[in-house]
Amino acid sequence: MPEPSQDPAEERVADYLAHRMPEAQGMTVSALSRIPGGASQETYRFHARWQEDGKTREKDLILRRAPEMSLVNPEHGMEFAVYSALWGSGVPVPRALYGELDPAWLERPFFIMEMVEGRPALIYGTDDPFDGAGNAVGNNFWRNLGRLAAQDAAILKDAKLRGDDVRAHFWDVELTHWEAILDSDEDLIEPIVRGAIRWLRAYPPPDPARPAIVHGDYRVGNFLFQSDGTITAQLDWEMCHIGDPLEDIAWAIDPMWSMEKHFLLEEGLALWEEASGLALDREALDWWRLFSTVKASALWTTSERSFEDGHNREMVLALTAFRAGHFHRRLILDLMKQRGAMG
Amino acid sequence: MKLRPGTVIQGIEETLRDRIAPLLADQPFAANDLRMALSLLAIVRLGRDDEVSLKVEENRRLREIFTEAAGSVGDPGLAGRLREAGASSDPGLGIGELDAETGRLRKLLVELHDLVDRRDDEQAKDISQSIWRALRDIEMPRAARA
Repeated sequence: MPEPSQDPAEERVADYLAHRMPEAQGMTVSALSRIPGGASQETYRFHARWQEDGKTREKDLILRRAPEMSLVNPEHGMEFAVYSALWGSGVPVPRALYGELDPAWLERPFFIMEMVEGRPALIYGTDDPFDGAGNAVGNNFWRNLGRLAAQDAAILKDAKLRGDDVRAHFWDVELTHWEAILDSDEDLIEPIVRGAIRWLRAYPPPDPARPAIVHGDYRVGNFLFQSDGTITAQLDWEMCHIGDPLEDIAWAIDPMWSMEKHFLLEEGLALWEEASGLALDREALDWWRLFSTVKASALWTTSERSFEDGHNREMVLALTAFRAGHFHRRLILDLMKQRGAMG
Repeated sequence: MKLRPGTVIQGIEETLRDRIAPLLADQPFAANDLRMALSLLAIVRLGRDDEVSLKVEENRRLREIFTEAAGSVGDPGLAGRLREAGASSDPGLGIGELDAETGRLRKLLVELHDLVDRRDDEQAKDISQSIWRALRDIEMPRAARA
């Protein structure tokens, strides 16, 4: 039986770990605290200590728990499956340890993974989120994305990701997915976003050379890095799916969080081509850049809806609804003007 | 002197920033929440003054488009609805009333825009471009000012 902890929440996590680690004795959990970052899952860090084989063992761990409703509502267990499949693949991810769907333990599904060294980059409030290591971080950022595109998408076949049963027209799967979210969550229709969707449907991109694992939210702020520029973990895989690898590139260079501010885009794209073994189609990338604005608009709409309905009152949801919604509609206007939509 | 709601919100912001925030120095998650809450309060305070006028202006602009396009759409049913909407007026100045009316007008605009984008003639192209320019003019003042 675990030793009693001070905090009831810590005690519940200790109970769970003791259940999953029958070889461990005297499991205790301490320093359980919620940490900022990620609007889609609640993230906590904690310290676990136990006895095993006559020795004291301890580890810093991360717990990710599903919220009631959020920006993204992935299939429960999906992110755990993705971390598990990508561990050791060359794409840096934390080692996932235990996934749990039974709400009896912590009310909602959750999973536990190892804590990784490094820190996230702040998107706002600083001109240099990488403390002088922008060149090395940018280099690794693009190489890692190329490595992800080079993976065999079949390694995630058990994760039941969106797109895993599709062989062509990934653009249509994704556009239909995000349009449906807008249809469901939009209280007041946004004609700018609907205009972009019409254009995207009228001028679809070619299919990718092969289906790829798409992170779905690959950007500054969603990885951990060290002072030498090493990226130690790519995080936040809730929007992972199978699709066109250009989707991740377009998302990574969205002006709201673009890596382009810190690393020359052309160099980054060349690194991606080298690591992925794929040739970049610039025209298709332009399609995905406009698509990114629609996807972002859908995300902000969901955040607005979940805050308004009271399902999730995280401050970040209201803030993105106010600020990011306008940002991406304005970006759509710029991109549509470039396409001659305004004459 | 009349105490205005905006001043009250500003006072709340100052209290949270000057008295509460220093107490959260060792609680990074709560401190981060408070920073975002302060940003939200400022957005709400600065946005409330012209919230009604922006909605009224949007509705006026959409009606203008409908009146101009009504004679060019071909479809008699849609043309009639465009004329009716173009001649309509806001039911009141409450935010809920204005939002409901904006929702009604925007749906019609999307229908009109979809129809002209499917056509391949110069008149349709002109209407489509005119709609995009109007959408730009409506969107630009909607930026959160904080």
